[in-house]
Amino acid sequence: MGNVFEGRGTIRRNEQVGPGLFLMEVGEASMARAITPGQFVHVGLPGMEGHILRRPFSVYSACGDSGTIDILYQAVGFGTRHMAGLGPGAAVSLLGPLGRAWHPPEDTRCALLVGGGVGAAPLFLLAAELVRCGSAVDVVLGAQTADALVCRGRYEALLAGAPAKSSLRCATDDGSFGHAGFCTPLVEERLAARSYDYAAVCGPEPMMRIVIGQMEGLPLACEASLERRMACGVGACLSCVVATDEGMRRACVDGPVFDARKVVFA
Amino acid sequence: MSLAMGVSLGGLAMKNPVTTASGTFASGREYADFIDLSALGALTTKGVSLHAWAGNATPRIAETPSGMLNSIGLQNPGVQAFIDSDLAWLSTQGVPVIVNVSGHSIEEYLAVIALLEPQDAVHAFELNISCPNVDAGGMAFGCSTANVEAVVAKARAATKKPLIVKLTPNVTDIAEIARSAEGAGADALSLINTVLGMAIDAHTRKPRLARVVGGLSGPAIKPIALRLVYEAYRAVAIPLIGMGGIMTGEDAVEFLLAGASAVAVGTANFVNPRATVEVIEGIERYCADNGVTDVKELIGGLLC
Repeated sequence: MGNVFEGRGTIRRNEQVGPGLFLMEVGEASMARAITPGQFVHVGLPGMEGHILRRPFSVYSACGDSGTIDILYQAVGFGTRHMAGLGPGAAVSLLGPLGRAWHPPEDTRCALLVGGGVGAAPLFLLAAELVRCGSAVDVVLGAQTADALVCRGRYEALLAGAPAKSSLRCATDDGSFGHAGFCTPLVEERLAARSYDYAAVCGPEPMMRIVIGQMEGLPLACEASLERRMACGVGACLSCVVATDEGMRRACVDGPVFDARKVVFA
Repeated sequence: MSLAMGVSLGGLAMKNPVTTASGTFASGREYADFIDLSALGALTTKGVSLHAWAGNATPRIAETPSGMLNSIGLQNPGVQAFIDSDLAWLSTQGVPVIVNVSGHSIEEYLAVIALLEPQDAVHAFELNISCPNVDAGGMAFGCSTANVEAVVAKARAATKKPLIVKLTPNVTDIAEIARSAEGAGADALSLINTVLGMAIDAHTRKPRLARVVGGLSGPAIKPIALRLVYEAYRAVAIPLIGMGGIMTGEDAVEFLLAGASAVAVGTANFVNPRATVEVIEGIERYCADNGVTDVKELIGGLLC
């Protein structure tokens, strides 16, 4: 593993940004510097009482200068609902940096990133890195409604400054913003319009399965970030396994980013 | 005041009474970023079987009040891969190694022991006759005195190394099971493995584990584990490794007082990767605060 450590961070900001969606900014300078795009932190929250396990969260963005990490999360269970109630100043424990990061081919010139729901967040640092390296980056985001497209602003700002021709396209289930329906027709359109050398996908598994299917036979590297229930986060407990062509692999250390074509979706 | 922390576990010398609970620590590599493995009294590995096992479907875990359910299903790459990779690495770590041995049949347990017996890096065996998450073998061997005697006697004949037998709490009378294992030649007993349980999502009306049932661990089971260690201590003369929800040094001391000669830290590793060494430090602090000069004084020291 090498450089995994436990950092003690402080919540700087924690606010609702969309329906059931929250953005937490945690100050922990060493972690903010150590994170690479696609990695996650295993978070221990204060006041969880009988809920003893940590919660894994992908890092939305990390800034070495301000020493902060942003986590975008959806309040779905006890842990995340409790998390939504924590205020600035609360101490959190961060185990990290954890997991296999995105690995776009070094000479990537044109990349397609597809994010569904909160799956838009783990792709953002990757998009920033690709833009920095001069690659064209086309982003397709899907969400249920316009106000759930909470990452749109950051992507717009990022892609506006991209040196190579880049784009952001959005789809909402209810048609309140962008294409009405799933994001997959936008992916089809992108794949027809341009030839990519790299694609990255993160979102609900049915959506990822369709998107990866759309790329079948195309000469591009394709990665997917997967989510699993997790206990240890460091590779020991074998709770978070993902079925792959090469057998059961751990989402926490062999992933969360996998070669998409090797993942066996249920 | 100097403190003696060493204990003897049926022929296995441990420099302190703390090991890891099988299945919560892999073979230690994953925790080497956080702790110096040589600080442990011993390291107990994940269950090793003759052939590779893929384990169960996901979800394999569910968090429950003060604990968690798991149904990993003893996923492991098989004994030969264990020897080539994990054991080779472990042999350089300066920590006594207890290998947890799993099998679907008595023959499989014996085949694993036969391959590991010549390995100097293996200091002791822990016979897993208590895993609740496999269809054949596992807990099936640990629930009747006849089965316990059969498998332990054969394992005993197959090894000269210390033989520890890990017992399940899912039995009516732990004393008779403990005595069967002792009578068949066990050098020590580990208890407890996880408590069989289940969790249901009321909204989806589905079980929260793919396998429906699984093993409960964590602080939720500590009172159960203490009671079983206490009962086993009164039933047998061989030493015990106590485990079940140990999060702190004080938890560990409670197990020693109930009759354990050593303790294992399990689920706590998932919460705090430094849990093992913090438990060791906690025991030392307890001893210093309470005028204890030899940790062995605590074993079975319950006042009642």
